[in-house]
Amino acid sequence: MPRILDVGCGQQKYPGSIGIDMNPDTAADVLCHLDRGSLPFRDNAFDEVRATHLIEHVDNIIHTVEEFHRVTRAGGIIVLITPHYTDYTSFRDPTHRWHLNTESFLYFYPGGMHGRDMWYTRKRLREKRLTVKLLRIWRAFGFEFMVNHFRWFRRFWEQYLSFVIRGKVMEFEFEVLK
Amino acid sequence: MAQILDVGCGRKKFPGSIGVDISTATQADVICDWTRGMPFKENSFDSVRLIHVIEEVDDIFRVLAEVHRVARPGAGVLIVTPHYTDHASYCSPAHRWHLSSFSFWFFSDKPREYDYYAPAQYRERRVHVEMLSLWKMLGFQFVINRSRRIRRFWEYYVSFVIRGKAVEFELEVIK
Repeated sequence: MPRILDVGCGQQKYPGSIGIDMNPDTAADVLCHLDRGSLPFRDNAFDEVRATHLIEHVDNIIHTVEEFHRVTRAGGIIVLITPHYTDYTSFRDPTHRWHLNTESFLYFYPGGMHGRDMWYTRKRLREKRLTVKLLRIWRAFGFEFMVNHFRWFRRFWEQYLSFVIRGKVMEFEFEVLK
Repeated sequence: MAQILDVGCGRKKFPGSIGVDISTATQADVICDWTRGMPFKENSFDSVRLIHVIEEVDDIFRVLAEVHRVARPGAGVLIVTPHYTDHASYCSPAHRWHLSSFSFWFFSDKPREYDYYAPAQYRERRVHVEMLSLWKMLGFQFVINRSRRIRRFWEYYVSFVIRGKAVEFELEVIK
């Protein structure tokens, strides 16, 4: 059975996972505060780490993703679900510290961003899957399909269209490289 | 010779300048956490550059107070940072602030009560907005940089469609 960690699980913990949260009023199996140190797990302890609507809240994204990388085994996966910065929910919650887009994790990719390989972090992830959800009306017009199936369109959408044809939520699936 | 300070200089330090960075993997002459203070005397520099760094610091006010301290009166301060409508503003998980072309107005023509936040005083010499190549080609970049009023109109009404890229601020230190 895969060992799954649900970070910031809240009351709807991912089925079959170990849940952690800082709030005792949740389905968490382990209580801890992500911004105050490391995850209380050994290296390579999990096959999958999931963080749903969590990463936009933490103090330090690089440090947090590095922790996810540490506790996930080589070849394991990290799933991050977070609002696109053009969605109004990104700004609705005053505990949202970061406003992110589809290229926000490039520092972790082999090659890094702008050739600044290993600049902010030495941990490496490979993007296995990235899905952007759009509002229903844009989905009906085929924009969601275009954004998710053509990388060049996703880039064009990010740079020119995304404040009009707005994004909703992004789902990243990364493979952990060690 | 004019003393130039390049704050957060990275690997492309401005020629002839003194570079400061937190990382040792850079061309910095001085390694320090400059967001908390810099090891220079008052009025040491004629010119200070902050290129794509101000959007990453914890406390913009503290940094601009420190730059104000080490710069001499009348020194020029160049700040380059993404406009908040550019997708690059959201590409890095180190970008803490999303700024507009009026974000440093706070330090210049400010109403008195803003002294509480920003005691350091600057004057805006020049603000220039860069745009994506399509908008530049169509002349929008030229037009909105003509005057502060047009730029203001663009910020309020148009900037989510005709999006900005980088903003360059040339400030002057007032002491």
